[in-house]
Amino acid sequence: MTRRPDLAALLGPGRPELGCDACFDEIDRYVDAELAGRDADALVPGMRAHLEGCPACREEHESLRALAAGAEDDA
Amino acid sequence: MRGCTAFRAGDAVGPGGKDGALRGHQPDMAPREQAEVVGSAVVGLPEPTPPLHDRESREWVRALRAGGAEGDAALARLHAHLLRAARHEVARRRPAMPDLRGDESGDIATEAADDALMAILRRLDDFRGESRFTTWAWKFAVLHAATRLRRRAWQGRELPLSPERWERLPALAPDPADEAETAELLGAVAATMRDDLTARQREVLVALAIDGVPIDVLAERRGTTRGALYKTLHDARRRLRAGLAARGQTAPGGAP
Repeated sequence: MTRRPDLAALLGPGRPELGCDACFDEIDRYVDAELAGRDADALVPGMRAHLEGCPACREEHESLRALAAGAEDDA
Repeated sequence: MRGCTAFRAGDAVGPGGKDGALRGHQPDMAPREQAEVVGSAVVGLPEPTPPLHDRESREWVRALRAGGAEGDAALARLHAHLLRAARHEVARRRPAMPDLRGDESGDIATEAADDALMAILRRLDDFRGESRFTTWAWKFAVLHAATRLRRRAWQGRELPLSPERWERLPALAPDPADEAETAELLGAVAATMRDDLTARQREVLVALAIDGVPIDVLAERRGTTRGALYKTLHDARRRLRAGLAARGQTAPGGAP
C-alpha cells in the first residue's frame, strides 16, 4: 500500500442509510423525484447516505439518472 | 417509505432482512421481501407518494401482460429500451476499460439486456407506478450491465486481499499540513481495526475501502451477495467510528 487511505471510504457516511437491496428497490423513485425537482432525500431517507457509502450503487445511480434525464430531454 | 431495510449508524442490523436477497450471483432472482425497517432512521417519515400510474406506464404494463402479438411487440420494444440502457452503461465505463473489445462490449450489453428483461418479467408485479416504468425498467439493465462490466474489469486478477495491511496505516505519509494530526488518527484507526473488528470485518473493510475491490466482484469471489457484504462493511464502519470515539478521535463526517 503506497497511498494514504481514503478516510471517508473507511469510515462511511456515519449516519442512517439504506442497504444495497433497499437502494435498488427505491432508486427509480429517487431518480424520478430528483429529475422532477422534488425533495428526493425526504422522499427516500437514507438513500443519499448510502450513495455516499457505496461506490457501486453510486455509479448505478449516476448512470440511471443520466439515462432518465436523457429521456426527458428527448421528450 | 415502502419496502426499505435501513441501516442506522450506531445500531446493529439484524442478520435477517433482505440483505443479499437481490444481489448475488443472480442479482434479480429473489422475490421482493416484506419490508423490514431497522433503527430510527425511518421513524416519522412522510407518507409515500401515492402511486401515480401515468398513462404511459400503465400502457407498458398492460401491453406486457397482453400476450399474443401485442405482448410480443411490447417485449421487443422493452428489450430495445433495455439494450439502449445497457449500451449507455458500457459507453460510460469503456474509457476505463481499454482492453474491452468492441464485440465483447456488444455481447455484454446484449446479455445484460436479456437478463434485465427476464428479471423485469419476473418482478412485473413489483412495479407500483411510483416512478416512470422506463426508469424502473432501466435500473435492471444498469445493474446487470454494471455488474458484468465490473466483473469483466477484474477478470483474471487476483484480489489484493491482505487484511493485515491495516497495520501499516500509521506509516503512510500524510499531507504535510496535517501530518501529526492525521498520523494520530490513522494510528487510532489501525488500533481500532486490530482490537475491535473481527477478521471478517477487517478483510471486507480493507478490500472494499482501501484496495478498491468492487463489491460485486468481492461478493462473487467469496460466494456471497452484495447486500450481505455491505452489511459487513456497515458494521465494520460503525465499530471503527465507535472505536475512534473511544480513543478520543473525531471521525471526519457524520456522527461517531
